[in-house]
Formats: sequence, C-alpha cells, structure tokens
Amino acid sequence: MDNSVPLFDFAAVWSSRALLLEGFGIAMFCATAAIILAMIIGLFIALMRLSNSRILRAFAFVYTQLFRGVPLYVLVIWVYFGLAIVANINLPKIPAGIITLALLNSGYLSETFRSGILAVSVGQSEAGAAIGLTKRQIKRFIVLPQAFRIVLAPSGNQFVDAIKDTAILSIIGVPELMRMAQQQADLFYRPFEFYTTAGILYFIAVMGVTKLFTFIEKRMSRIGFTNSSQKLTNVGEYI
Amino acid sequence: MLEIKSVSKSFGELHVLKDVNLNVAKGEVVCIIGPSGSGKSTLLRCMNFISPPDSGEIVFDKVSWRSYRSKFNVLANLRYEKKLPQLRAEIGMVFQHFNVFPHMTTLENVSLGLQKVRKIKKDEAKQVATKSLEQVGLSDKLQVYPDQLSGGQKQRVAIARALALNPKVMLFDEVTSALDPELVSGILDEIRRLVREGMTMIIVTHEMKFAFQVAHRIVFMDQGKIVQVGTPAEIRNTQEPRAKAFLSSILE
Repeated sequence: MDNSVPLFDFAAVWSSRALLLEGFGIAMFCATAAIILAMIIGLFIALMRLSNSRILRAFAFVYTQLFRGVPLYVLVIWVYFGLAIVANINLPKIPAGIITLALLNSGYLSETFRSGILAVSVGQSEAGAAIGLTKRQIKRFIVLPQAFRIVLAPSGNQFVDAIKDTAILSIIGVPELMRMAQQQADLFYRPFEFYTTAGILYFIAVMGVTKLFTFIEKRMSRIGFTNSSQKLTNVGEYI
Repeated sequence: MLEIKSVSKSFGELHVLKDVNLNVAKGEVVCIIGPSGSGKSTLLRCMNFISPPDSGEIVFDKVSWRSYRSKFNVLANLRYEKKLPQLRAEIGMVFQHFNVFPHMTTLENVSLGLQKVRKIKKDEAKQVATKSLEQVGLSDKLQVYPDQLSGGQKQRVAIARALALNPKVMLFDEVTSALDPELVSGILDEIRRLVREGMTMIIVTHEMKFAFQVAHRIVFMDQGKIVQVGTPAEIRNTQEPRAKAFLSSILE
C-alpha cells in the first residue's frame, strides 16, 4: 500500500491562500456593488409597478418577469457576450458580472419593495395627504421609511443569495473565489480541499452579512416602530 | 366657509353618497350622526378629497374644487395633484385610527407638516410643534415614539399635528371610536376646547350626548342622503320617522 499521498491535504490550499482571499474579496465586492445597484433599480421598478401610468406599470412588470425568469447562467452570458455581439458593448469582466447580478437581484428586490410599500397602511398615506403633503412627499417621508424597515430582512436575504451567486460569474472568467478555487484545484489535483475551503469562505461571508442585518434591525427597532403588526422577522429565519 | 354642492360617490354598485348638499359657516360646529353605513365618514372624506367625490363640488373659502382625472392628459393630472394639497393644508383632519407616523417621534409627527407644507425652518417648526403638543397636554412626551403612547395620547398627537398647521376647518372622523372607554372623555374635552376657541368643525360621531352638547347644528344622514339638518333641539324633537327611530334607539 502506498500511503505517500494523504487522503486530505490542505497544505496546497494554505499555499494558495493569497489567491483565494483575493478571489473572496472580489466576490464580496461584486455582491456588495450589485446589491446596492439592485436596491436602487429595484426601488424605481417597484415605484413604477405602483404608478398610475399603464406604460410604466407594464414596463416594470416585464422587467421583473424577465430578470426573475432567466437563469443567472444565461443572463451573465447575455450581458458579457450578448451585448458585445448585438451592441458592440465590450464590458470588462467584473463590471459585466456586477451588472448581471444587479439585474437579477433588482428583479427580485422590486417585488420585495413593492410588497413592502403596500404593507404600509393606507391610513398613513391618508394622514400625510390630510396635512397637505404632496404625493411625492408622502412617499418620501412617510411610506418609504416605513417600507424600508419592512423590507430590511428580505433584502438581507437577497444579499446572501447574491454572495453565493457570484460563483456563477466564474463562467465568464471573473477572478472571484470560485474561479480561483477551480484554477488552484486543477493545478494541485485537490478539488475537494479547494472547493470545501471556498464553501467555508462563502459560509463565513453569509454569517457575517446575517449578523450585520440583525444588528441593523435591532438598531431600527430601538428607534421606535416595534408595533406588532409590522414587527420584523429575524433575517436568520430566512436562511 | 365650506359648501358641499350635490356631491355623489359610489363604490362600484354601492351608492354611498347621493346628491348631498351642506353649508357650513365660519365658526360653526356641525355634528354628523346616523346609522353605520349611512355615508357620514365618506362625506367627511370627500370634503378634503381624501376620498374624491364622483361628482359635485366643494367650495372652500369661495374657491371651487372638483374631482379631476384625465385619461390622456398626464400633465393636467399632475397639475391637479399638485394643487390639491393647498386645499388639504387648510383643512385639518383627525382619524378614527389616529394614523400617527410610527417612525417619527411625537415632535417630528407634528413638525413634519410645518416644515414640508408650511415651509417653516426646522427650529421654528419645532417650537410651534412643541406649543401645539403642550396644548394637548403632551409636553412631557416630545421625544417619544408612538408605540410608547396610549390610544388617547396618540389621538392627541394627531390633533396637535392637525392644529399646528393652523387650519381653517377641522374634520373629526369618529375620533373616539377606537379608544378605550376611559380615554374617550379626554379627547372630547380637547374638542370642547376648540369649540370654545371658535374653531369651525365638522364632527362625525357616535357620541350622541356630546354631539347634542357642542353642535350648533346636527346633520342626520341615512342611506347616503342627508335626511334632516337642524339645531340640537330641533333634531331631538324631530318628527321625521327615520331620524326619530335612530335617536330613540340610541338615546334610550
């Protein structure tokens, strides 16, 4: 029996730690940038879904259905290769990855935001109208701040999904964690060790984000707004 | 000061208001009574277009207001929506379910309108808001969020919020119906204070004793129509069958 090759060997992983951590950093950067973009786009799409204009509503509906309905795998190829072919837009890899994730997540977040806005009671808007606020002011000062607290937990959940979804960006060669793990695994013939390490890193990131959102929620509930009808669910319960 | 001219409104097949007419003079206190579903609250909500009437007009301070919605002219709709707040800012309204803003302190609740509608600077708005809250007896709750207030206190915040804007008319929509019984009289006392100050008020209420005490005129509504209008004495001795039946069922 030849015992010279151990069953598990993480020495190779340790020697490649700089590359893996770099990949981890890029993955987190992509996820964070994408979720921020997605929140901004998602909010506008949600407001369009709720507007009086039939055209805006239709646009927002198609947008949401499209980006929720297409697999991320296809979407990333559309953005990276498709745009280059159709419109001659050659995006660098990382921006292409961020845009892809932002599109996908904005589709989901727009629905989350829409339901969050609708969850704020009509009486709130009526009270705002009664003191003479304009529609826009009612949204800005009354409805959205309350909706924000409602959507905080599901948004944290979406962030967690975005972190894990960065792995798919490896197919267009974004040098994120999964791509790095893949390359190193092939180099050292140690797929199990490298992918497990990547998995652990994703897990740590997800735990961190979960803790962060729980913390924000606690802060939020401390500044008023703890009535039971709109009590926030712990983000931990979603994952 | 406030004229309601042939206002009608329906929700689908249900005709909630049928050609309602009413004049309210400056300084007058009008109480609207009637069985549930008679259209009292809807009529009140039509006055500031929180529920816009389907037809008819509201004349306030000699300016006529009608519902407007164009299917095609988006700009005209926007212009109309920008104008409506001017009317609403002059009409204070207090709701059955308080509708205080849960994400703002008591003080912020009251100063929001001063800052955003009256365009008063923040510091000055806070002073006015503080004064308004002092008048309803909440000077020790300025920095408190609504979830730490009782129903009666929330309703006081709502009253202070409306009064801070110095409205010309106040609308009260069953403001004691959601309160615990022991808190009702406190809120009614706030309204009595406004009566003494000469505020023009239209009050939808189920508190009959109170209505007959404070009202200059009482409006009895049934099935979307004003059945009878008169002084409290006239209404108490009414011979109109529906009003009579309603009052005897309640005053017993």
